[in-house]
Amino acid sequence: MILSSMRNVVFGYGNEPVVENISLDIYAGEFLGITGPNGAAKTTILKLLLGLLKPWNGTVEINQNALDGAKPVIGYVPQQVASFNSGFPSKVIELVRSGCYSRLGLFRRFSAEQEAIVEKSLKQVGMWEYRNSRIGELSGGQKQRICIARALAQQPNVLILDEPTTGMDHQSRIGFYELMKHYVDVHRMTVVMVTHGLEETNSYLDRVISLERKESEEWKCLTTSLCSVRFGPEVS
Amino acid sequence: MFDYEFMQRAFWAGGFIGIIAPILGVYLMLRRQALIADTLSHVSLAGVALGSVLQFNPVISGFVVAIAGGLIIERLRRTYLTYSEVPVAIIMTSGLALAVVLMSLESNLNKSFSSYLFGSIVAVSKQQLWMIGIVALLGLLFFILFRRPLYNLTFDEETARIGGVHVKWLSFSFSVLTGMTVASAIPIVGVLLVSSLMVLPAALALKIARGFLSAIIIAVITGLVGIFSGLTTSYYMNTPPGGTISLILLVFFITSFVIRKLLLRKQRRSRIARSS
Repeated sequence: MILSSMRNVVFGYGNEPVVENISLDIYAGEFLGITGPNGAAKTTILKLLLGLLKPWNGTVEINQNALDGAKPVIGYVPQQVASFNSGFPSKVIELVRSGCYSRLGLFRRFSAEQEAIVEKSLKQVGMWEYRNSRIGELSGGQKQRICIARALAQQPNVLILDEPTTGMDHQSRIGFYELMKHYVDVHRMTVVMVTHGLEETNSYLDRVISLERKESEEWKCLTTSLCSVRFGPEVS
Repeated sequence: MFDYEFMQRAFWAGGFIGIIAPILGVYLMLRRQALIADTLSHVSLAGVALGSVLQFNPVISGFVVAIAGGLIIERLRRTYLTYSEVPVAIIMTSGLALAVVLMSLESNLNKSFSSYLFGSIVAVSKQQLWMIGIVALLGLLFFILFRRPLYNLTFDEETARIGGVHVKWLSFSFSVLTGMTVASAIPIVGVLLVSSLMVLPAALALKIARGFLSAIIIAVITGLVGIFSGLTTSYYMNTPPGGTISLILLVFFITSFVIRKLLLRKQRRSRIARSS
């Protein structure tokens, strides 16, 4: 079932459009990869899907029925978010616990169940031993892993990841893809991931949207015709 | 010293500001907005001058204009996302230019110019003390009630927004509180040094704290000790309180920096000794 659909979306920065008339669908419970060269508008498309950017034209809709009527809880890990916040005065566990804040609201206290989710999230990304370390003391890959743990602690039903494995070693990357596959297969989570490493991720992904930039004299932007689907169900 | 009512008022006001300004400072520094306090103090000065020229209460007009300045900066910050220092520079120069021109029109204000610029212990009136107390109370409530969304907002605005934080509303409220705090701190430390109350305790805390809450606690303790010792020194040495407090906070910052460097060097040496 379609979870999110983008129809005839036009968007750009300044006066220049970078996305023109793109239409694509995201299905509930799929592990979707978005790939393409630098400047192919991968991050822009993620931000349009998330509602962080408003399209100049066209629509982006989320179909709540696809989640059995449940409110979509979206976990988002932007590109190298932790590396930009190296000086943030926080312990690893403090940051991961902040993933639960959206569920807890302003006043509700952490329950034992919530604490267990935080612990599980940290263990799943292999960072439990570092729970009392300061964020600034970690390496780039480790910072990326705790941001993924923070998103998992949010207990999302949709997870959007922008180059989440940047800075991770090979073993950590494989462990991460397996973890995401587990969440998709067992927990019916929808995972959308921008990635450059298709040769590594091919065996885990259900579908790949490959983006290329059209370069003509008039426009330098992304169009649906150049948005090819490598395998899996066809998008409109 | 406490036999004088004005000193009692100065200590009460210093205590209120010493709690709220360093907390704000921690958030401002982490949001890369450390210069906002400086900017708003210049804007507030323009408000004081405007009040005097138009025969309004200058304290209240300074207060209102500082809040308006905070809101304008926040609005412009959203326009100049990649150059967030641009609105700060624009508002700072505009505020100061307006203040200087308006002050030249009002000769009475010119006489008390230095007390606005550098602060004065005797400048804290009962009315101002009430205002500072209310601002501190509102600020504390704001930081306690919204500690969770503020934490997420400060770490990353985009993930906070996706996680359900009303980023725009919270950022605007934060700007209003910053304007209120700056305007209420001016009587003690003055326009030129108001940002030192926010930035120096926060800079010290961010260097040594391991967690977020501990950073806030360290900043508040540093701010309070700096203000109380600065006010005392200022009373006995007859120096301007703003400059005295700022210098004491600077000494705290440099001392903590040196101690931290020495400790790190010692740790490194002992590690090398153990491994060899």
